[in-house]
Amino acid sequence: MTATLRLRGGRVIDPANGRDEVRDLYVRDGRMVELAPHEAATEEIDIAGCIVMAGGIDMHTHIGGGKVNLARMLLPEDHRANANPVALPDNVLELASCGTCTPGTLATGYRYVEMGYTAAFEPAMMACNARHTHMEMGDTPILDHGAYVMLGNDELFLRMLAERWDFERIRDYAGWTINASKAMGVKVVNPGGISAFKFNQRKLDVDENHVHWQVTPRQVVHTLARALRELGVPHPLHIHGSNLGVAGNIQSTLDTIAALDGLPGHLTHIQFHAYGTEGPKKFSSAALQLAEVVNANKNVSIDVGQIMFGQTVTASGDTMRQHAQSGLADPRKWIGADIECEAGCGVVPFRYREQSYVNALQWVIGLEIFLLVDDPWRVVLTTDHPNGGPFTSYPHLIRLLMDRSFREEQLAKLHPEVAAQAALRSITRELSLYEIAIMTRAGPARLLGLQGRGHLGAGAAADIAVYRENADREAMFATPEYVFKDGVLVSRAGRVTAAPVGGTHFVAPDYDRGIEQRLRRHLAAQGSVNFDHIAIGHDELCQCCNGGRLLPAACFQGASS
Amino acid sequence: MNESDTATQPGNAPWTCPFCPLLCDTFGVDIGTPGTPLTLTGSDCPRARNGLANFDAAASAGQPRVDGRDCDLDTALAAAASLLAASRQPLFGGLGTDVAGARALYALACETGAICDPAQGKALMHGLRALQDRGGFSTTLAEVRTRADLIVCMTEEPTAHYPEVFHRCGAGEREDLAIETLPLHGDLFDTVSLLAALVAGRVRGDDDRVPAELAALSVRLKAARYAVLVYESSRLPAQGALIIEAIQRIVGTLNRSTRAASLPLGGGDGASTVNQVFAWLSGLPLRSRAGPLGLEHEPLCFDAERLLADRGADTLLWVSSYGPEPAPPVTDVPRIVLSHPAMRLPQGVAEGVFIPVSTPGIGSGGHLFRTDGSVMMPLRPLYDDGLPSVGDVVRRLVHAVKAQKKGRVQ
Repeated sequence: MTATLRLRGGRVIDPANGRDEVRDLYVRDGRMVELAPHEAATEEIDIAGCIVMAGGIDMHTHIGGGKVNLARMLLPEDHRANANPVALPDNVLELASCGTCTPGTLATGYRYVEMGYTAAFEPAMMACNARHTHMEMGDTPILDHGAYVMLGNDELFLRMLAERWDFERIRDYAGWTINASKAMGVKVVNPGGISAFKFNQRKLDVDENHVHWQVTPRQVVHTLARALRELGVPHPLHIHGSNLGVAGNIQSTLDTIAALDGLPGHLTHIQFHAYGTEGPKKFSSAALQLAEVVNANKNVSIDVGQIMFGQTVTASGDTMRQHAQSGLADPRKWIGADIECEAGCGVVPFRYREQSYVNALQWVIGLEIFLLVDDPWRVVLTTDHPNGGPFTSYPHLIRLLMDRSFREEQLAKLHPEVAAQAALRSITRELSLYEIAIMTRAGPARLLGLQGRGHLGAGAAADIAVYRENADREAMFATPEYVFKDGVLVSRAGRVTAAPVGGTHFVAPDYDRGIEQRLRRHLAAQGSVNFDHIAIGHDELCQCCNGGRLLPAACFQGASS
Repeated sequence: MNESDTATQPGNAPWTCPFCPLLCDTFGVDIGTPGTPLTLTGSDCPRARNGLANFDAAASAGQPRVDGRDCDLDTALAAAASLLAASRQPLFGGLGTDVAGARALYALACETGAICDPAQGKALMHGLRALQDRGGFSTTLAEVRTRADLIVCMTEEPTAHYPEVFHRCGAGEREDLAIETLPLHGDLFDTVSLLAALVAGRVRGDDDRVPAELAALSVRLKAARYAVLVYESSRLPAQGALIIEAIQRIVGTLNRSTRAASLPLGGGDGASTVNQVFAWLSGLPLRSRAGPLGLEHEPLCFDAERLLADRGADTLLWVSSYGPEPAPPVTDVPRIVLSHPAMRLPQGVAEGVFIPVSTPGIGSGGHLFRTDGSVMMPLRPLYDDGLPSVGDVVRRLVHAVKAQKKGRVQ
C-alpha cells in the first residue's frame, strides 16, 4: 500500500484555490491528493494551531551564475564571522557553506528551505553563461529553480531592430535563445543601456537613441514583450527598467509601462525605479504615482525589491548604472565586466544605513508600494536578493507588512526628516496572511505559469510549509515547524532533515529553425563560441543541474497561431 | 526542436581544446588509427598539438597501482581511502579537472578537512587577491574581437603561452586594431605605476623622469575607444596582485571618459574552474579548508608548496587529468595520484596510490571555464578512453573514506 501522509487540523491558506479554512491535507507519492472515503492515511502529523501554505516561491533572487560567484569572490568578509572562520554545520546532512549576502549555493538552499521556500528563480542568466548558471542552481540543494535569460542588449538583437528585420525573425531569435539556454523566461536589463555603455554612452532614457544602433529602450521593450506573447511564454517580459536608482526615474518607469502598450510585462525591483525629484534633497517617493499606474494597468505585475538596512552587495547586469554608482561602494571595491557582445555585469557592495536620507526613503518607498497596490496577485515579495538585502530578511519584511505598530517603531528609527514626513505614516493597511500567501507563493506561481506549484489543491506538488501560529510574524515565518518538498520532509523546526536535488523549470517555445543559419553566420563573424556549442540539450542540462528532474512548463497558444 | 543530445556523442560536434584556457573550438582533430597519436588540423597551435600527442584514440591500458604494483580500482580506492581517513591534514594539489571533478572534490575536501590549492596556485592567488582588495573591470573574447581598437600586453607578449590569443582577439580581421606590448622601464611594478600615474594625469608626459614611449602609450590609451589591457598572472612576480591592482587603476581611470577593460590570461588546467566551483558551493574560493575552527580561507598560508616544505600536510592527493604533466612535487608524504595514465612519477619516494583517469575533452565529456571567466565551454569526447573520470573516482572515495571512518569509530 502506498504511504499516505495526513496533515491534520491546520489552517490551510490556499489562495490559488480561494480557500482559507481548517482542514486536513493528504500527501501521496509527492503530490497533494484527495482521500476517497474508503482510504486511510498511513501516517499522520497533528498540526493543529498551525498555518499551512504551499512552499514559498521566490521569483527574483540572484542565486546563481557569473556575477553571483564574482560577488562571493569579491567579499571574503561575508564568509567569516568577524576575524573568525564560520563554524562548520552541526548537521551531517549539510556540507560546509557560508555567507549572508553572498552565501554559497549549498547554504542558499538550506537557508531558503528552513524558511519554508521550495523554489527560487535566478532572474539574470546570460546565454553565454547559461551552463554555469544552471550548475550553480543544480548545486543549490532541495529548491526547484529556473532562470530568465537576458536579451535586449545583445548586439544581434539591437542590429535586428536597427536594420528593421521582420518581427518574426526577432521572435524566432528570442525563441531560439530561450530553448538554447533552457530558460524559464526573458529578462531585459536597462533596455539597450548595457550595450550603449560599451559605446561610451552614460545615460539612456526610454525614448533616447542608443548612440550606435539608433534604437530606443521603448522599441526594445515593446519588441521583446510582443515576442514572448507570440511565443506563448507564460512569464511576461521581466523588465529591469531604465535609469535604475536615479532621482526622477519614475518617468522612465511610467514610459516603460506605456511602451508595453497593453502587452504583459513584469517590472522587477520596482522600488529602485520609483523615485521623484521633490523635496529639499531632490529625491522623493513616487510610490503613489507608481501604484496608481499599476492599479490601472492590469497587464503589469511587479516585484518590489525592498531594501533592508545593513551590509549587502548589489549584483546586476546593468553595467551602465553600476559603473555610475561604483563611487558609493562600501567597502570600496567593485567588479564590472563587458560580456560577449551580449550583456554585462556590475557587482557593487553596499551598506544601507538607517540614518541616510536616501536609504531611509528607499525603505519607505518599498513598503509604500507593497501597501498601495490594490491587487496582491500582481505584487511579489522580494528584496531582489542580495541587492536590496539578503533573502533571509523576508520574515522581517513580512512582519513590517503585517504589523503597523512594528512598522512605525522601525520608521521612527530612521533619518528624522524621512521619519517625520513619509506618507507611509498615514498608511494603515496591514497585509493579511492570505495576502502574504498570494505574494510569496500563489502569485509568483501564476506569474510564472507553474500549474502544479504555489497551491495545495489535489494534484499539486506536495511542497508545503507549516508555520506555528504566532503573533510575532517574523518569528513565525523565520522557522516553520515542517517543510515538505515533493512530499519529503526537508526541514523540521529550522533544521534540514533531507537534502534532495531540486528540479529545473524551463519553457520550450516553438520557433522557426530557419533563424539558426543566420545565427551561425553571426557567431562566426562576431562571436567567440562555435554555434554548435551554444545550445544545452536535455541530457547536458540534467548533468549541469546535478541530475535533478527536468520540469518543462507548458507554453500557451501564442497570439500568432 | 533542439533536444537531441547528439553533441555529447563522440565525433558529432566540434572539438573544444581543453589544453589552454582559451578553449578554442574551431580546430579539428585527426583521430587516425588507434595507437597513433592524435593530430591537430585547422591550426598550428603548439599547445593543442602537444596536448593531443599524449593520446592515441585507443582505450587506455593504464592500470591503477598501489606501491608500484598493478591492482584493480577497488583495491586502489581502498588504499587511497585509508590514507585519507588516517590523515590529520590532507592536501589536494594539481586540481587538473573539470566541473564534475571539482564538485566531487569539494565533498571529499569537506569530509577530510583537506586544504585545496591548484598547480598554478600562486598565479591564481595574484588575481584573486587583487579582486578581493579592489575588484576590477574585465572583458571577454567576443567583446575584444568586436570592439577593441587598442590591445596592450602588460606582461610581455602572450603568444608564447597562449598561441591563439591574438587570433581570438580579432587580429587581422579589423584594420583599426593596434596591438602593442608595454615597454618596461625599471621593473614591472615601477612601469605599471608610472603608466597609471600618466593616464591619471598625476605625472606629466613631458616630465624628465618619464620615458617618451611610455608617455606616448598613455596618450594612445586615452585616445582609444576601447582599450584592452591583457596580462598573464603566471608571469607576475611575488606580490603580483599589486601589479594587477595598478592595471585595474588604469582601466578605472580610462573608464571615466572613454572605454577600457582588462583581459586576464590564466586559470588553465582546471585551476579557475575548480576555484569557481568551490566558491559557489562553499562561498569561499581555493586555498580554503573546512577545518576544525570552521571554513577557513588563507590565500597565503594555504600554499601547497609551502605546506609540503613545512610539513603542514601529511598526505597529498594530486589530480592531473589533462596530461602527464604537471607531475606532483617531490615529497615524502604519502601520495595519491589521479592522472593521465602516462604520468611519470618522481623517483625515489614511495609511489603510494596511482589511479589513471579519463581526460575531459579527449576520452570523456566535461565543462571548463574560459580565461575570461564568463563563458563555460562544454568539452566533447573524441573517443571513449575507458577510464573513470575524476568525478567518478572521487565520489567513490568519499563513500570509502566515510565507511573507513565509521569503521574506526565502531
